[in-house]
Amino acid sequence: MPMLFPDETALAVRQRYKPELIKGDMDSVREEVSQFYRALILHLDSSFVSLLAEVLEIHMGTRVVDASDDQDTTDLHKCIAYIRDLPNLKNENASTCVLVAGALGGRFDHEAGNINVLCHFSSTQIVLLSDDCLIQLLPSSHLHEIHIHPTIEGPHCGLVPIRGPSKSSTTTGLQWNLSDTEMKFGGLISTSNLAKDEIVTVRSDSDLLWTVSLKKIG
Amino acid sequence: MESLTHSSSFLLPNPPVDTAALTYVLVVLNRDLPRFTPLLWKNGDFELKLLSVLISQICICADGGANRLYDEMPLLFPDETALAVRQRYKPDLIKGDMDSVREEVSQFYRALIMHLDSSFVSLLAEVLEIHLGTRIVDASDDQDTTDLHKCIAYIRDLPNLENENASTCVLVAGALGGRFDHEVGNINVLCHFSSTRIVLLSDDCLIQLLPSSHHHKIHIHPTIEGPHCGLVPISGPSKSSTTTGLQWNLSDTEMRFGGLISTSNLVKDEIVTVRSDSDLLWTISLKKIR
Repeated sequence: MPMLFPDETALAVRQRYKPELIKGDMDSVREEVSQFYRALILHLDSSFVSLLAEVLEIHMGTRVVDASDDQDTTDLHKCIAYIRDLPNLKNENASTCVLVAGALGGRFDHEAGNINVLCHFSSTQIVLLSDDCLIQLLPSSHLHEIHIHPTIEGPHCGLVPIRGPSKSSTTTGLQWNLSDTEMKFGGLISTSNLAKDEIVTVRSDSDLLWTVSLKKIG
Repeated sequence: MESLTHSSSFLLPNPPVDTAALTYVLVVLNRDLPRFTPLLWKNGDFELKLLSVLISQICICADGGANRLYDEMPLLFPDETALAVRQRYKPDLIKGDMDSVREEVSQFYRALIMHLDSSFVSLLAEVLEIHLGTRIVDASDDQDTTDLHKCIAYIRDLPNLENENASTCVLVAGALGGRFDHEVGNINVLCHFSSTRIVLLSDDCLIQLLPSSHHHKIHIHPTIEGPHCGLVPISGPSKSSTTTGLQWNLSDTEMRFGGLISTSNLVKDEIVTVRSDSDLLWTISLKKIR
């Protein structure tokens, strides 16, 4: 974060952009980073501090194993589960939107794991973000209306049948619209498509990933 | 059920001579050139007879991949002149709809190609002419086939490779990262050409398709890859997958998006075996080379 504000001191930037919570199995966060943010947090309201301290203690150094899967749940999975359980959000699940920065690129198994979190929590709006693009899940249970903001995104876009073959998808607003079209890996999937209108609509018999390129910002 | 063996020996600085007799073809895409790309070139240790001309490697640039080679290969050899590096690592073919490759890059490589045997030059010129500036539209899909798709189709049709499809391995550099729709389009090419060995490569990892028609035996080279790995049911849910050699092995396990997929797994043994009722993507992390 300090690198994005080269005219300010690193300390000032870090104080301004401090997280409310650091969550996960804590095997990656550096010691000095963890200490720095804990010190900042101590300046907050004391009841909030004790809540946070409680959460940090619970997860510090403990590897959480989901034995039914024979594998750990990913850090992102733990975060989404935590967010969904937050008391003030509990009755408003439909209007919460989780933005995930740094979700793509690097190791493909990490990327696939993050996409799997979208599929697992399909009733929560989650947007995976990188410098180059975003990915969202469009559940088959709904008709989707995507508002395109051409100053920040597009025109490159795509639709991907992530859970398995899709017998029928229909779109409007794209350069190459789908019209009751079948999509599957090994056959047609919609990539290198272009958003033509400011509203793109999508409906499908299958959950689809929507992806759109992001323009260089900042 | 037949068994297929996989090995990333093409990334070893000195690959063993008796590696499964594979013919490697390198395809360079228009994304950051992985730092190990020169290794892939050198290790294309085979001969290809094309119109009775001996060529020691085949490298095909998919359209803008030529820009990447031109711009980024010299950066990997800072002690040499850019010209020397570009002459040494020149592609045999630049293929695609030619809407990304820069004019000066295209001209540079055409001039280099002119030094080759004239019959080979005319073959190449023919191929380049056909594809220069023309957008090829596959009307049945309502969409262009991707540049990678065109390259794979071209490679599969190469006369001397035609009867040896089983032993051709296409290495695709710059296949991952950047726009997700590009990445997933490249993965779709793996699924589409499931009988051709294709390895998608980036600096961080590789991806291969493991068709359900075979048992798979993957040789792990711990100096260059691993331990992080994963298996992904890309064509749809998989009812049953079984592995050996992983930290968390699958045992007749169901996998699907929205449920369990194998990510952040670790290779434990030097041989990993996989069999499944469904096509799976195998991915493994690559160690920093160079």
